[in-house]
Amino acid sequence: MTLNLAPMVDVLMCLIIFFLLASKLVTAEHFPVKLPWAVAAREVETHDLGARVTINVRRADGADEHAEYVVVDWTGRDIAERVLQPGELVGLLRSRAARAAAENQPVRCVIRADEDVQYQHVETVLRACGLAKVGNIVFSVNKGSQPEAASVMPLGVEGGG
Amino acid sequence: MRRFEPARDFAPNLAPMVDVIMVLLVFFLLGASLNLVKQGVLQTELDPRSGPGGGAAVEVNPRIRIALRAAGDAQGAGVEPDAPRILLMDDALPENTFESLRSVLLEKRRAGADPDNMVVIGADTTVRWRYVVSAMDAAVQAGFKNVQFAVSFRAEDAAER
Repeated sequence: MTLNLAPMVDVLMCLIIFFLLASKLVTAEHFPVKLPWAVAAREVETHDLGARVTINVRRADGADEHAEYVVVDWTGRDIAERVLQPGELVGLLRSRAARAAAENQPVRCVIRADEDVQYQHVETVLRACGLAKVGNIVFSVNKGSQPEAASVMPLGVEGGG
Repeated sequence: MRRFEPARDFAPNLAPMVDVIMVLLVFFLLGASLNLVKQGVLQTELDPRSGPGGGAAVEVNPRIRIALRAAGDAQGAGVEPDAPRILLMDDALPENTFESLRSVLLEKRRAGADPDNMVVIGADTTVRWRYVVSAMDAAVQAGFKNVQFAVSFRAEDAAER
C-alpha cells in the first residue's frame, strides 16, 4: 500500500506560492541599504507605521555628490524599484499625502538612507517633505551600537608567519 | 495481435516531487525571514512653519543647537578621517566624540533641562549620514524627545511653494 501524496503536493504548492509572494513583498520594506546604527532607536513593527512613503537613499556612481532616491512601489503589474530624480520627490509625497488625506490617515515618510551618503541628499528628502507638508518623518536605523571596525576587516587578510 | 494497452490504474510516484517541493518551501521560508534584520526607527517632526505658507525662513531659537561641521583631516590621529567637528551652541566639546556629546547633554538633563526642549541638529552638506544619526542618537539617549533638523530652503524651491 502506498500513501496518496497528491493532496500533500497541493498543500505544499500553495505554501510555496505564499512564501514566494511574501518574500517579494517583504523586500519592499527591506531594500538593501547599509543603515546607520543607533542605540536609542525604537523598535516598531512596520504595520504600526500606518500610511507611509518609504524612500531609500543610496550613493550613485560611487561618488559622494550623486545619490539615488529609490522607491519600491506597486506599479500596477508588479513590485518594482523606481529611481526618482530629486525633483520628483515632492510630487510623489504630495500625491501620497493627498491619497492618505482622502482616507483620513496621516502619512509619514520613512527615510532609509545609506550610512555613507552625504547629509545633503537626506536634506533633499527632508526639504521635499517640508514642501509637501509631510511633517512626520521616521529614519530607519539598525538598533544597537556600531560593530567594531575590527569585526568588519576585509576578508582574506590573515597574519602570516 | 498484441496492442499497447495503457495501464488501468497508473499512479506516478509523487514521493520525489514532494521532496523537491519541500526543499523549495524551506528555501522561500528562510528567504522571507532572513531579510527581517532587527531594524529600529528614530522619529522626528519637521517644523510645521517650514512648509509652504511659512514664507521666508523662520527664526528658530532652540535651547540646544548641535552643529556638525565638515572638518577635513585637520584632526589628530585615531579619529576617523571624515568625522565632523561637533559643536554644541557653537562651542567645541571637551572631546570631539559623540560619547562626549551624549554625556554633556545628559549633564544638561540632570541640571534640569526639559526633555521637551527642542534640539536642532544642523549639519554641513558633506557630513556623512551616520554622523548625523549618531548626533540624533546622542540626543535621544540623553532623553530629549523633540529632535529636529535644520533644513535650508533654496531659491529653486520657491517655485514649488
